[in-house]
Amino acid sequence: MGNALILKEIRNHLLSFRFLAVFILLLVIVPATVMILTNDTVRKQDEFSRRRADIENYLGQYAHFNRLGGIIAPSPQPLPLQALVLGLSAVPQLDTFDNDPLPVLFPLIDLTFILGILMSLAALIFSYDAISGEKEDGTLKLMLANGVPRARVILAKIIGGAVTLWVPFLIALAAGLVVLLLHPRIAWGAADWGALGLILAGGFVYLLLFFGLGLLVSSRHASSASSILTCLFLWVVFVLVVPNLSPYVASLIRPAPSIIEVGRRIDRMIDTERDDLGRTLSRERMDAVVKSNPVLAGVDRMTEPEVKAEIARNAEFARAYELFRKANEAAWRDANDIQEAKVKVIRDDLSRKENAQARLSAALSMASPLAAFTYFSADLTHSGVRNRAHFETIAAAFWDAYENYAGPKMEALRKADPTMDVWNTAVDVRDMPRFVYREEPLAGRIKSVLAPLLILCGMALVVFLGAVLSFNWTDVR
Amino acid sequence: MLGILVRKEIADNLLSYKFFVVILLSAVLIFTSLFVMGRDYKSRVADYQLIKPKPDQAIAVLPPNPLSVFAKGLEDSLARSYEPSVIGIEARTGRSSANTVFDFFPAPDFVYIVKVVLSLVALLFGFDRISREREAGTLKLTLANPVSRGALLFGKWLGNLFSLAVPFFLITGIGLAILHLDPSFRMTPSGYGRLALILLLSLFYMALFLSLGLFVSAVTRRSATSLVVLLLLWALMVFVLPNTGTLLARQIVEVPSSRAVMEKRNQIWTREVLKTFSDRGNRTSHFQTMNEEIKRLEEDYRNRVDRQVRLAKALNRISPAAGFVYTATEMAGTGIGEDSRLKREVVRYRDQVLQTGTLENNMAPAFSYKYRPLGEVMAEGGLFDIAWLLVFNVFFFAAGFVRFLRYDAR
Repeated sequence: MGNALILKEIRNHLLSFRFLAVFILLLVIVPATVMILTNDTVRKQDEFSRRRADIENYLGQYAHFNRLGGIIAPSPQPLPLQALVLGLSAVPQLDTFDNDPLPVLFPLIDLTFILGILMSLAALIFSYDAISGEKEDGTLKLMLANGVPRARVILAKIIGGAVTLWVPFLIALAAGLVVLLLHPRIAWGAADWGALGLILAGGFVYLLLFFGLGLLVSSRHASSASSILTCLFLWVVFVLVVPNLSPYVASLIRPAPSIIEVGRRIDRMIDTERDDLGRTLSRERMDAVVKSNPVLAGVDRMTEPEVKAEIARNAEFARAYELFRKANEAAWRDANDIQEAKVKVIRDDLSRKENAQARLSAALSMASPLAAFTYFSADLTHSGVRNRAHFETIAAAFWDAYENYAGPKMEALRKADPTMDVWNTAVDVRDMPRFVYREEPLAGRIKSVLAPLLILCGMALVVFLGAVLSFNWTDVR
Repeated sequence: MLGILVRKEIADNLLSYKFFVVILLSAVLIFTSLFVMGRDYKSRVADYQLIKPKPDQAIAVLPPNPLSVFAKGLEDSLARSYEPSVIGIEARTGRSSANTVFDFFPAPDFVYIVKVVLSLVALLFGFDRISREREAGTLKLTLANPVSRGALLFGKWLGNLFSLAVPFFLITGIGLAILHLDPSFRMTPSGYGRLALILLLSLFYMALFLSLGLFVSAVTRRSATSLVVLLLLWALMVFVLPNTGTLLARQIVEVPSSRAVMEKRNQIWTREVLKTFSDRGNRTSHFQTMNEEIKRLEEDYRNRVDRQVRLAKALNRISPAAGFVYTATEMAGTGIGEDSRLKREVVRYRDQVLQTGTLENNMAPAFSYKYRPLGEVMAEGGLFDIAWLLVFNVFFFAAGFVRFLRYDAR
């Protein structure tokens, strides 16, 4: 009986105009998107290797330790998975003067967009009249007269509908993937296919959720015309508005200080304020040394050659002068430490407030299934928040390796030639460690997407139960 | 006769569940959007008071634009702090980078609500105007009276536009009034003029979707079919087409990433600085080479970006949503044209403080920037986009009229 019901639903949908319309739309949009994004990825990869070659070329001739950091700073690498999901990789850079303004006005489309917006709308178009339409046609009471449990009717409608919507999508995606697979420059590994499989699984749950929502609304309405209105109302609010509002609401509830202002304050603290403090401290301490060592009287007014001559002549002066010099060094060291401690307090406070805001806005936005699904697919494809953190970690590891290389290397250079300015002389750095981006293993990514997946499943379950309960109470006449 | 037809449409709308749902949705969204974006503006104004450059500092920062409450556009980029230095311009953004939710979803400003939600609302007003009356059997009754089909269609269009426009202006007006309760929100008279133009543009944009709805309704026999077609067309026009134009433009005009430009600039200046150490006599010539090469690099980049933007704009205009967003943001002073103009001004400012040597001795002249006058915005694409929206309008209405003339009313 259950099979007959599912088959009836599938047949019903297959013969409908909306199936045809959605199928054609998907067949055009999905392969076109995959094709364009594949080309885009290949071009980004080309540019990346060109950039790397430029850097190597530079290092071969002009590498010098004083300004090496800016040259070899790690940068994110274009990944093959970005031929399907862009995530944060397409976000415009606000911290460089020259940036691309187009994606701000029109965010680019990718697989997440197609699943998140187009497919959820299609799911509602497929399901808004599933119950109210049959009620209007009078077939619902006939069907229920056959002694079919109502829960089974709902289940059959969800499965039948979701399958008829999902299969065209998979066909369209397969057409797109052929483009991607045939492209000699895009190589997907097992983890990439695994990630795609998981995204599709999550996408299916997301779709079921909207199917269930359509059924729930449909069973609450007497006419299909009002049912579609309520469906669209809910869709607009949860898909198009809640995620967009949440970061703004979060920044109202948990404000964070202006980064520009904090940045400038920090710059001042480690620059002019440190110099002032250093001067005051060294004055105090050097005066104290002068007071306890009368031999140093008048040292401030002596020029450098005079001091050198005095040191050579007077052993007592030499000893005291060593103390004097050490007091000065210690004072500056202390000034640095004091200011850095102050900076750390400010930085910690800023990042605590920023993180609180970010957590709140992520939590608020998860009220929308679209947001949960977006984070889910972004984190699985190295284009989400998690990947940013992952990148920071491996970049930090690279800087450690670089420090371990640069220190001994400069020491060795100094030993070989004591007169050499090791900071500002071109050196051979062929043996320097290079930054290599390593993708986070799939297992770690899966762990991080469990929360959004659970939220999606939970929402789908609630909506589905609601649909069953609501249908049980429906007057089918 | 037309008056009766219009009145009938309005009365029809006022009594329907649809009208209630749709107006409730629009009201809630517009109020929420204005409130949230208004508070966001307020906090940006407070931040600006802290970061605003002192008279002798060579820093360029624009005060927050009150119209960004309605059209955020590129405001996050425009209101950055630009700090010129010998090797380039450092741009600092005031927005928290940790809150990545900002990056995932576009800003829910007034223009976004109009672009996405009110276009849908307009479609819902138009989608069943003809097919439902046929289903209900009232169409043949109406046509049995001596009324021309053209008048009937125009009456429907006008009546629905009226029932759409009056609540829209009413809700926006109330929202504006609430916004003005906050004394820190101040707009100049020209700001109000620009806002009025944005509202007018929004009305044209909504009217277009109403015409489209009527047209599709006249093509289809059943209102359910009409709705499916319209929703898919809407998704295509509002979400898909504007982005495809951008993606295509990227394929055609090659623009290096901003990261590539930054790396190249780093390589140039560090190389030349290193050379001055081995070749002390020629300091100035090395600095000159450095400046020239960096300038060439950046000019090339900006030219390419401009070309790409122009192409993307042209391609995106297939979708009226794109034209609407471009022009609404330009009118608000947060558009792409404003952004590239500001960048040019900042570059000029940097050249000025470098040439006069006022960067080091803290004697730099203050940076001043005037937004593009409205006339210029109109001349550079604004008028075209308005006309383009009207062409879409007329085209859809005419197509609907032609179809409706042959419509079988039974």
